[in-house]
Amino acid sequence: MPSRRHVLLAGGGLLAGLAWPRLPLAGSPAEIRMQGKADGSHVWFDPIGLHVEPGQIIRWINLDPGNSHTATAYHPKNADHPLRIPDGAEPWNSDYLLPNETFSVMLTVEGVYDFFCIPHEHAGMVGRIVVGRPGSPPKESAHQTIPDIALQAFPSIDEIMQRGAVRRT
Amino acid sequence: MIFRFAVAAIGIAALTISALAADQVEKAPPSGAYKKVSELVKLPDFLPGLGQLYVDPKTLPAGPFLAYDHDGKLVSTVYMLPIEDLTNKDKRFDDLAAPGGKVDHVDVYFNAGHPGVEKPHAHVVLWHVPKAAETRVAGQ
Repeated sequence: MPSRRHVLLAGGGLLAGLAWPRLPLAGSPAEIRMQGKADGSHVWFDPIGLHVEPGQIIRWINLDPGNSHTATAYHPKNADHPLRIPDGAEPWNSDYLLPNETFSVMLTVEGVYDFFCIPHEHAGMVGRIVVGRPGSPPKESAHQTIPDIALQAFPSIDEIMQRGAVRRT
Repeated sequence: MIFRFAVAAIGIAALTISALAADQVEKAPPSGAYKKVSELVKLPDFLPGLGQLYVDPKTLPAGPFLAYDHDGKLVSTVYMLPIEDLTNKDKRFDDLAAPGGKVDHVDVYFNAGHPGVEKPHAHVVLWHVPKAAETRVAGQ
């Protein structure tokens, strides 16, 4: 039985409890699964790229029985990581999710959101969500401290927009 | 006569002290400085394929990690060696403790990371049980 950890409103700046009744809930949450091979040699988000409309709830669930994972926005508030979510959007950090635990956010600001798993960023466990229209892509800079394996793992915005969901397992 | 008795007594006392000083690791929880990994970092208490892990935090990240089955019996000793250290000519892992006794076979494989040892690393698993008994720590 999954346990729900949090629901945040990322980007709207309002408490989720206040905003909840007014939000357009388009069916069930969009789900991103945290997965891994049994021996821990490979870990990933599935899908790794996702397109949603503003106001959609995103739910991460840890389906890896042998590991803990996080869903953490690229933002200076999260261990001084570079900003890779839209200006004005609130960052999130699920903290460690044990197997079958879940974490949810509601994304209201349009744009591109990149996120990572804290213990697995160096293994390339990252993901990208496009909310509404993508606008400007995340800024790349030589000063960013993202591991190459993570930078190379992000699906392109075009691929996400064309396919809706990008899976790489 | 008295001298021989005294020597024997000292020998017995030394053996006793030595035995007391050595960590008990055959059954969980091990004695000494070992702590349960799931109480040090947020990880499942029982990891499929490894079991229930204990480690002396001072030895992180290499370990040894002591792995136990559901009955609390030691099944393996695990070392976790970061890949970046293994490819660093100036980095060595010397004199790692090996308290688990007889080794039946060894597995070495890549691990992408987990809380406690976040960077990609190699698991070096010294199995103290036969291959067929690895199922004692398989997923439920």
